[in-house]
Amino acid sequence: MTHLIVSEVTLTFGGLNALTGVNIAIEPGLITSIIGPNGAGKTSLLNCVSGFYHPTLGEIRYGKYNLTHASPHRISTMGIARAFQNLELFRGLSVLDNLLLARHKHLNYSIFHAIIYFGKASRIEAENRAYVEKVIDFMELEPYRKKMVGNLSYGVQKRVEVARALTLAPQLLLLDEPMAGMNIEEKEDIVRFILDLKKEWGMTVVLVEHDLGVVMDISDRIYVLDFGVLIGWGKPEEVATNPKVIDAYIGEE
Amino acid sequence: MSVNRWLATGNYFTSYKEEQRIFFTSLDRSAMGLLLLGLFLWPLFIQLDNKYMLVIDNILVAVVAVMGLNLVTGFAGLISIGHAAFVGVGAYTIASFARVMGENHILLTHAWPLMIVVAGCIGAIFGGIVGLPALRLKHLYLAIATLSFQMIFQWTINFMDFFNQGQTISVSRVTWVTGQVSRSQHYTFWYYAILGVIVLAGFAVRNLLRTRYGRCLVAVRDNDRAADAMGMHPGFTKVYAFALAGFLAGVAGALHAYLYRGVGVESFTLHHSISFLAMAIVGGLGTLHGSFLGPLAIKLLDLQVERLSEWVGNHLTIATNLATALKPLSFGLVIVLFLMFEPRGIANWWRIVRSYVKLWPFKY
Repeated sequence: MTHLIVSEVTLTFGGLNALTGVNIAIEPGLITSIIGPNGAGKTSLLNCVSGFYHPTLGEIRYGKYNLTHASPHRISTMGIARAFQNLELFRGLSVLDNLLLARHKHLNYSIFHAIIYFGKASRIEAENRAYVEKVIDFMELEPYRKKMVGNLSYGVQKRVEVARALTLAPQLLLLDEPMAGMNIEEKEDIVRFILDLKKEWGMTVVLVEHDLGVVMDISDRIYVLDFGVLIGWGKPEEVATNPKVIDAYIGEE
Repeated sequence: MSVNRWLATGNYFTSYKEEQRIFFTSLDRSAMGLLLLGLFLWPLFIQLDNKYMLVIDNILVAVVAVMGLNLVTGFAGLISIGHAAFVGVGAYTIASFARVMGENHILLTHAWPLMIVVAGCIGAIFGGIVGLPALRLKHLYLAIATLSFQMIFQWTINFMDFFNQGQTISVSRVTWVTGQVSRSQHYTFWYYAILGVIVLAGFAVRNLLRTRYGRCLVAVRDNDRAADAMGMHPGFTKVYAFALAGFLAGVAGALHAYLYRGVGVESFTLHHSISFLAMAIVGGLGTLHGSFLGPLAIKLLDLQVERLSEWVGNHLTIATNLATALKPLSFGLVIVLFLMFEPRGIANWWRIVRSYVKLWPFKY
């Protein structure tokens, strides 16, 4: 099992420090949450891990890989997948095609096979379709399989977003506010999915979330960011009693 | 319960492989078969004037070109205003061979299918090179980069002696198994040849679109950030889209050169690029059958408007000047009307009619 180690990462935009000397170690097989007030740098940190930003200083390692300067499409092949906060789906494609796109790297046939289609391309497409169906089954997306993603409701689109990250077959799943803007029922569904992912699929989950109730309930480890600085970490009960964290969330009297 | 493959009801699949089919019902497949059969057989029964046969051939060449443009602009979402230049690259590939080896060289007259593929490959190479700015540029900036290629192309052809400074370079008649294609058979022969190319290219594109090589185009159109996170290099995917479009454009160019038995720069100007774009929009961006309907609609409209302006010129001599302006006017008007009222093109009408017929007599 591989650890994700973020060491002394600083991310600077012009004169602004989005992240300052952040150290995080994500242990495999656990649900780790990153919380903090708006603008604390949570999404910036995820962007650094998934390769959309590159840290100004410091290093990010995942097992034997160095992610510091790797591009997103390289990182997606290392077993790290990411679901976006604002829906970044392929709106003009069906749910099925969205998920099949995540199998892009597993569809290893040449363009000539693709043009002829019969034979190799057809066989590999069918094999990957079977994997996609496994994810559809798990995320309970069966009724929407052939629907255009752009026409689906927000809650379902969010679920497709998580499903697409899952279809990459990662060991480490980065979820950026998967429950934002959802009602209680939809939140409960997503929480159930995340817990099942940990238990049944043995996946490591990194969760960025604003709903503190959910975070405290399901996380094994919590890291708290404020203004780009790590102000607290540990098990949920440790973080809940950390005076710095209480200060950041509630403020002084 | 047994499977009924003829209608949508009762037509179910038990394996993922079965579900990959292009035609979901046998009815669809038979209709397509009949359409193709009709397209191949009608010249045997109806003898058309050479003038009209040329118009039909012209539409078919445009279909090949627009199929390419639809891949890059419709599916991959990259506006290309230099498509006529890519078609020109294909045509001038044939012209260059004619200049270097002589127009009656055996490669040009006998191995013409090979030459068409070679022209396509050269088109793909140029497409890839012109697509390189897509690694950095997006949207309108990229469109301007393709426009610059159109300009460079025209200047290069106009100022190089090798290309006869844009004047016609002739290409000889080709030879088929029955011997040299004569003057009277020329247009019918090329009708069949181009139709064959369209059928091959059409099925190739349809196949491509149900594999990773087609899906990645739509992915970079809809969201290139997410495409990046899904493991594809968005920049290279765009370059690949341009290369694909360049290939089909090159093939169209070679067909144009053989059809007209000559290549001149006046067939590959900016005006033609915009016409191709209009055909793609009117037909329906991002749909395969839009590539067939668009050229047909625009070229037939052109023909009718030309007739009308001729008639007006003969009967109302005072309005002759006005009548000549009718063609560009109607062309522009059609594009504006389509962009306003049916941005999804004629292909959308087809979709509506289809779903209506499927559900008839019920509303939904």
